[in-house]
Amino acid sequence: MADDKDVLRDVWFGRIPTCFTLYQDEVTEREAEPFYLLLPRVSYLTLVTDKVKKHFLKVMKAEDVEEIWFEYEGTPLKWHYPIGLLFDLHASNTSLPWSITVHFKNFPERDLLHCPCNSVIEAHFMSSIKEADALKHKSQVINDMQKKDHKQLWMGLQNDKFDQFWAINRKLMEYPTEEGGFRYIPFRIYLTMSDRPFIQKLFRPISPDGHTHTLGDLLKEVYPVAIASDDEAKRYQVVIHGIEPLLETPLQWLSEHLSHPDNFLHISVIPAPSD
Amino acid sequence: MAALGVDCSEASEVEGNNFSCQKTADSWKRDIIRQLKHRDKSQKSMFQDVIRSYISLLERTNQQALITKGILGSGSRHLASSSDSLPSLISKNDDLKKITGELAYQVVELQQEIRIKDSVLEGQAVRMCEVQRSLQGVQSDYGGLAARVAEVTEGNRQLKREYDALLERHHDMDQTFRVEKVRGQELLEDLIKRKQHAAVRMNSRNERRVRAREASLQKELETAGKLNVTINVKKRRGNSVCLSLQEDLYAPVGICVAARVPARALHVLDAHELGINAVRFSYSSNLLATGGTDRSIKLWDVKGGMLHNRGTLDGSNEGITSIEFDPTGTRVLAGSYDKSALFWRLDDSVPKLTLTGHSRKVTAAKFKCSMRHVVTGSADRTVKIWDLHRAACIQTIEVLSYCSDVVCSEFFIVSGHYDRKIRFWDSRAASCTQEVPLPGKVTSLDISPDHRQLLSCSRDETLHVVDLRMNSCRICFRAEGFKCGCDNTKAIFSPDGSYLAAGSADGAVYIWNINTGNLETRLPEMHSSSINAVAWSGSGEYVVSVDKSRRAVLWSDI
Repeated sequence: MADDKDVLRDVWFGRIPTCFTLYQDEVTEREAEPFYLLLPRVSYLTLVTDKVKKHFLKVMKAEDVEEIWFEYEGTPLKWHYPIGLLFDLHASNTSLPWSITVHFKNFPERDLLHCPCNSVIEAHFMSSIKEADALKHKSQVINDMQKKDHKQLWMGLQNDKFDQFWAINRKLMEYPTEEGGFRYIPFRIYLTMSDRPFIQKLFRPISPDGHTHTLGDLLKEVYPVAIASDDEAKRYQVVIHGIEPLLETPLQWLSEHLSHPDNFLHISVIPAPSD
Repeated sequence: MAALGVDCSEASEVEGNNFSCQKTADSWKRDIIRQLKHRDKSQKSMFQDVIRSYISLLERTNQQALITKGILGSGSRHLASSSDSLPSLISKNDDLKKITGELAYQVVELQQEIRIKDSVLEGQAVRMCEVQRSLQGVQSDYGGLAARVAEVTEGNRQLKREYDALLERHHDMDQTFRVEKVRGQELLEDLIKRKQHAAVRMNSRNERRVRAREASLQKELETAGKLNVTINVKKRRGNSVCLSLQEDLYAPVGICVAARVPARALHVLDAHELGINAVRFSYSSNLLATGGTDRSIKLWDVKGGMLHNRGTLDGSNEGITSIEFDPTGTRVLAGSYDKSALFWRLDDSVPKLTLTGHSRKVTAAKFKCSMRHVVTGSADRTVKIWDLHRAACIQTIEVLSYCSDVVCSEFFIVSGHYDRKIRFWDSRAASCTQEVPLPGKVTSLDISPDHRQLLSCSRDETLHVVDLRMNSCRICFRAEGFKCGCDNTKAIFSPDGSYLAAGSADGAVYIWNINTGNLETRLPEMHSSSINAVAWSGSGEYVVSVDKSRRAVLWSDI
């Protein structure tokens, strides 16, 4: 159990070194220097990039500034994905620090959502939690909570307060013992080479005959392509929080300990690097 | 990292197959833990310090930049403003214009306010002026009122002074009054003393007279005593020698044979000081007595067609109502308003007797046939009979009505009354024997010399003659213009009993003839007021009439 607590802490405090560079076509008064920052894996881009915005606004005229947006190597980065997910999905095997380009103009309306203020991020975060709890407990636990508990969850995430967050979140990780687990496991599998944004399906952690499902079982069920057959070379990596858990890891344990703060298991399937 | 991961997974897979379930459980967990640790090492820890120091450096440079900006701020700002582009200048100009416009608007507003305040101030100044004016007016009023107050106090002081002076004068007057009162009292005492002296003198005079008479009597007695008188031894009985009080009762009485009707006035004079009520001739001589309101009886003598005053009888305290002579002509009886009858002897002017007893005025006093008795009739509804010798009332007859006149015959007393009746009284029995009604108040009675006829004058302007023998047969005498002047008008028989005379209110004497019943003559113009009484002399020659205005007229036929 102390190991479990360590796991939770390690998951919460994960960081990615990032270098923000202003897009060269942005009109500046003087040379814009790149900005380096350690981004938390579990947070969202627009929540933690205030310093970046301030840094780059210093060198820009106010009339040239529109909504900030980020892109990595041409791909606009969706702010409503957790930062860790974005890194794992796009730049997990590249050299660090992660280089993100900052844009202030030409917002890509078709690719990104607008994020005018933090309450948008909060709404998205809370809706994700509710969706997860709907899958896990038929929304009973989240609905029994008071508004201040919901607020506490968001404030914990916003202010990077592990204890504050987990004081409430542990209730969401409980399950009636006779069940053996959640009703369904909230997960999303993200693919790089696909036109589908992600795969989300109903999946029970315990089989009807009492057998605990593993990550492998999930993948076999939902995206069997990800699992390599014995004789083939591994073509895909299944990455959660920047690590590849063994396929026999129980899904229930994974959902409890390796979920993001929004209670979802965000799983990235990326092509294995060919050395 | 990826390679490591693959290795780890492979190793763990191999291990997992060989070991028990629990170990398997632990292995994948351990693997995860290990992987996380590795990840953090490579991703976080290596960059953490670098980025932290980088960020702090960045902040420091930013601060320094700000500071330098601040120092150079003023200079840079000027440069910045001068290097501002034209549109900004224009906008600044517009702003300034707007500001000036606003200021101008404010100036206008403030000027308006100033104007308003000025007008308010003016109003206040005006009000202040008014207030000052009213204050002045009030002050002048106050001055005026103060002056009036001073005046009034001065006036009060003056009044007080006058009052004090008057008070002093009053005191002085009081003193003088007291002094005068004392003097008055002294004078009164003086007067009383003098009267007393006069009375004493009169008394002494009377005493002297009495003494003189006594002396003369004494002398006569002496002379008589000196004379040798043969005294009859035989005493005469019956006739007692008495002195002067008892006189001869029967004196020779003259009888008038024929009365002469008077035709003209011989003498007109104002006989008294006030009105004359009664007049009477003496039976035997031409002696006339008149009496009236002036309380005295005057005696007159007719000589040469003129009335000469022979004396005055005093003694009445009030007016005389009736006069009667006695048959001898030496004594006079008078009734007076002072409720008494008076009796004089003609040689004395002082009344010999005063008969008092009536409670009201005595209207008539007559001698009864015997000289001793007097009959008085009075307004107190009584007739009294008096004894002269005792000077006392011996009988009082209630006659029931105001008695205006009384006459006496031998047997009865006749009285006339205001209740329009003549009553006959039996003197001895004091009872009314007869009543004769008349149409008016009886003012006077007269009896004819032969005592056969009774004349009454009544207020209805008529005279009635009653025959005393028959007591009923009456003759009524009237005349045009004859009016009774008062309640005491006297009508008389002529001495021969053939004429009636009466005075009228119009100042004329009317004379009727009894036998014919007609008016014989009328004597006007001598009197100016109503005639109270007439008298016919015993000789029948003269008639005297007296009136209210103290005039007496002597008439005769010549």
